[in-house]
Amino acid sequence: MYCYVFCVTFAAMNEEFIPKWKSQVKKGILSLVVLRVLSKGECYGYELIEEIRKYTMIDIAEGTLYPLLIRLKEDNLVTSKWVEQTSGIPRKYYCLTEEGIASLKEMKSYWDSLNNSIQKMNDNE
Amino acid sequence: MNRLSFESNITQRIYDDYMRRVEKNTSLLSAADCNELIMEINSHIHEGTIQSKDMNKDGVLLDILERLGPPEEFLKPLVARKKLNQAVTTFKPSHIFQALRLNLTNGFIYSIFGLLYLFLGSFLLLILAKIISPSHTGLFYTNGEFGGFGFVRETTGQVEVLGYWIIPISMAVAFILYVCITLILRLKTHK
Repeated sequence: MYCYVFCVTFAAMNEEFIPKWKSQVKKGILSLVVLRVLSKGECYGYELIEEIRKYTMIDIAEGTLYPLLIRLKEDNLVTSKWVEQTSGIPRKYYCLTEEGIASLKEMKSYWDSLNNSIQKMNDNE
Repeated sequence: MNRLSFESNITQRIYDDYMRRVEKNTSLLSAADCNELIMEINSHIHEGTIQSKDMNKDGVLLDILERLGPPEEFLKPLVARKKLNQAVTTFKPSHIFQALRLNLTNGFIYSIFGLLYLFLGSFLLLILAKIISPSHTGLFYTNGEFGGFGFVRETTGQVEVLGYWIIPISMAVAFILYVCITLILRLKTHK
């Protein structure tokens, strides 16, 4: 009986913990993903979301992308420019700055080392 | 900014309502920041509707808006951040007050800044107290020893030494504190 209660409680904890953890990981790597997509060429917001969807399984809450882009811009990692369109609704294109390219390189290398460490742990299991 | 127009009256109303909410939630920002954000969201909605192959534009718009989320939620951290930047750049008290109010839930540190500005406000209250009740407000000494500073209820046997000089002194202290606290807030914001 106690064992059953423990298992149910533990399962309920996991149900809460795992989605939270996943959301934190996604949040943490979103800037890396955005910079990585932008390293391939300039993009406007909607295009950026589509590219992220195409290459990753991250289901991005689109509203969170714009605050992130503004933060990256304030940190001087990306720049933006408005480009007029024939429709009359301009697009805001984002591209990487020199600082953004350097930061992306550093972030990729950190991510790779982190990934290797976890892989090593998995191999030892 | 060119607003989008939809054939269906219902789609148009959904769009207009959403943009009104965006405008309402960005109204605290500077005109340039506000315009930039509205244009960007408008552009996002436009791209989403023209790139969708679905002919049901009501459904397409609802999908786009659902994925963006309620403006009250996704704009909140963004507006708070932009307002803080505006406040520490302009040094305007009204912007500082709004920025602190918006950022109170973004960390304990903003509550500390709120308390510091409240402390600063006490010097301004002191000026008011001196005008309303001059004999009970000031720097008091009793037999050559410090007896109290500020508003003192019982002044029997105490000598007030500053007189009306407390007004310019309080103003100067409040000003210096305001500049110092705002500079620290600026350092914290741009860290």
